[in-house]
Amino acid sequence: MYGAGYIFDEPNRKPLPEQQDDPEKLAVFEARIARGEKIEPGDWMPAEYRRQLIRLIEQHAHSEIIGALPEGTWITRAPGFKRKLALIAKVQDEIGHGQLLYNAAETLGKSRETMINDLLSGKSKYSNVFNYPAKTWADVAVIGFLIDAAAIVNQVANSKGSYGPYCRALERICYEESFHLKQGHDAFIELATGTPAQRTMLQDALNRWWQPIMHFFGPPDKASSHSEKLMQWKVKMASNDDMRNQFLDMYVPKIWELGLTLPDPALKKNEETKKWEYTDPDWNEFFKVINGGGPCNEERLQVRKWAEENGRWVRKALMQPGDKKAFPVA
Amino acid sequence: MSNDSLDPRVNRLKLGNAGEAVRVEEGENWNSYEVFHQEKRGAHHEHVGCVHAPNRELALIFAKEQFARRKKCVNLWVVRSADILAFDVEDEDMFANNAEKNYRDASGFKVMEKINKYKQSKK
Amino acid sequence: MNPEAIKDLVIKMADDELILGHRNSEWTGLGPVMEEDIAFSSMAQDKIGHAWALYQVLHEQLNGTDPDRFAFLRKENEYRCSQFVEMPNGSYDFSLMRHFLFDHAETVRYESLAASAFEPLKTLALKIRGELKYHTLHANAWVLQLSQAGEESHARMQQALNEAIGLALGIFEPSEHWEDELISGQIYPGEVALRQRWEERILPVLTQAGLSLPDLGRVEPIYGGRKGYHTVHLLPLLNEMSEVYKLDTEASW
Repeated sequence: MYGAGYIFDEPNRKPLPEQQDDPEKLAVFEARIARGEKIEPGDWMPAEYRRQLIRLIEQHAHSEIIGALPEGTWITRAPGFKRKLALIAKVQDEIGHGQLLYNAAETLGKSRETMINDLLSGKSKYSNVFNYPAKTWADVAVIGFLIDAAAIVNQVANSKGSYGPYCRALERICYEESFHLKQGHDAFIELATGTPAQRTMLQDALNRWWQPIMHFFGPPDKASSHSEKLMQWKVKMASNDDMRNQFLDMYVPKIWELGLTLPDPALKKNEETKKWEYTDPDWNEFFKVINGGGPCNEERLQVRKWAEENGRWVRKALMQPGDKKAFPVA
Repeated sequence: MSNDSLDPRVNRLKLGNAGEAVRVEEGENWNSYEVFHQEKRGAHHEHVGCVHAPNRELALIFAKEQFARRKKCVNLWVVRSADILAFDVEDEDMFANNAEKNYRDASGFKVMEKINKYKQSKK
Repeated sequence: MNPEAIKDLVIKMADDELILGHRNSEWTGLGPVMEEDIAFSSMAQDKIGHAWALYQVLHEQLNGTDPDRFAFLRKENEYRCSQFVEMPNGSYDFSLMRHFLFDHAETVRYESLAASAFEPLKTLALKIRGELKYHTLHANAWVLQLSQAGEESHARMQQALNEAIGLALGIFEPSEHWEDELISGQIYPGEVALRQRWEERILPVLTQAGLSLPDLGRVEPIYGGRKGYHTVHLLPLLNEMSEVYKLDTEASW
């Protein structure tokens, strides 16, 4: 469901290790990207490109398997057969997306096990949005519609990036996301056009999720540094503000047309600039949640740890220590 | 942590302590198998991704649901990633002149031109 | 043929599928490895899908109520599932063993229904044949591999089999009133015959897996579910399943 809207970098990390790269090879590499060609696993690539891609894809993968948890909250309670099946299938897809993305990251040389360990230890991050609770059934509708919509904006952009295995994984993911968005929108409309109690439930969920959604694409462009190189290398395909604006443009009207409101009186489209204006969300809160201070950070990691611990005997029983370890080839 | 999750499933688990370290051992997620998907009879098997599995039997079982739970599919192949042999990327230039060797292509033979020229000469 | 007899058969089958599908879906997102998580979730969805199809047969062919209402709103003692499917998931060993024992039972049942005199069941049986083939292929592979993969794993699978077997026999609890009529009407071959076919399927796999088999003739089957007697685990499951639906049973969700 999630596109790595914001790549969390290690604080205080000094950029520019690409100086160590062979300038001739770097020129060939950059020319290839400039021509619109893809980079494949065996290709020479700058160390910083590899590092940033691993970070990006890994965070995206973590976000998928952690992202399965807030909606998973309602798997056993979904009302009626259609919603029950759709929700299970959707959460299943998140795991499937995680699987595809871990494989894509592995082609860059970091093993799935190491990535999982980095998630569990807190070294590696995942999208902040999944550190918020899904309190009611309406939260499932809001997540399925709006978080998935935000993710699609991001993933469609990323699918045109430069790294072949990531693009191929995203193509498949985007195809499945169209189902997620549709089922989310459908559940959303059902509540919006339902009984007064259903509408109230939906409005309440919308109010609670608005800030996390505004946070989703990351801090404003004026505050984020060193993304120029990542844009040139087609690791990052659009700026945070551009993606946020695209999302608002596509989805705010779909919310307003149902007579629902958003908890930001300043939210409106400037018809001259064609840009959306809004109250800046609380970015201190954003950084607090990244650093573990969100309402669900602890639970999410505890549940992942439980799953790893309790699945261990199954995995270990069938381990093949004699088998030559190989990463996915493409 | 106390089990006071909003997820009743989570409340049924016995979660450990917050700071407790959990480490997955290298190799615990098994090995990588490449997956090839055949959309319909008569079509090529196309590479669609890979699965981690302890052996090829489970790789095939996993591949079925990960890569063929939606779209049309009639069969799948799995093969250990370790068994894939490919050229080095640096050797891409071995293929560079393919397009010029038009004696291998139908387009390299201008039959109609010759016929027309012949017909022209007979008029 | 008394429609009550067919209803009795369809309801117990559907309730088994719904409750076990529900239980197995609890693993979605929490499984031992991503690939297996996906596979197990698909099979849970299949089961819930089978239940839905059966409730539709009930609704459309047997004068029953709307599938959602019927599935989500009955009282606990109106459910006809076996106690086997109500049991909590436990560890993955129990979940896998239950999946193995149940899905083979489901398979022999639907295979027999492919010859049923009741057309809607026959149609459904033919439609889901391929799904069940995958389920049992998956179950056999896991039971065979884990049972032969070292001491701990073997012990876990043996323990799971010991816990599950009496409950599994409860799947074949004969209908209180309709067994003879269903058999003579060629709706299905009856629970005794199904149990025998099931034993012929599971015993070779368990033997090959190196598990020690209980003497099935001496294991007490855990009956009661088909008459509406359930374990303490069913009611909380039902309350949870219908929590949202019951907020407003007239609303559309």
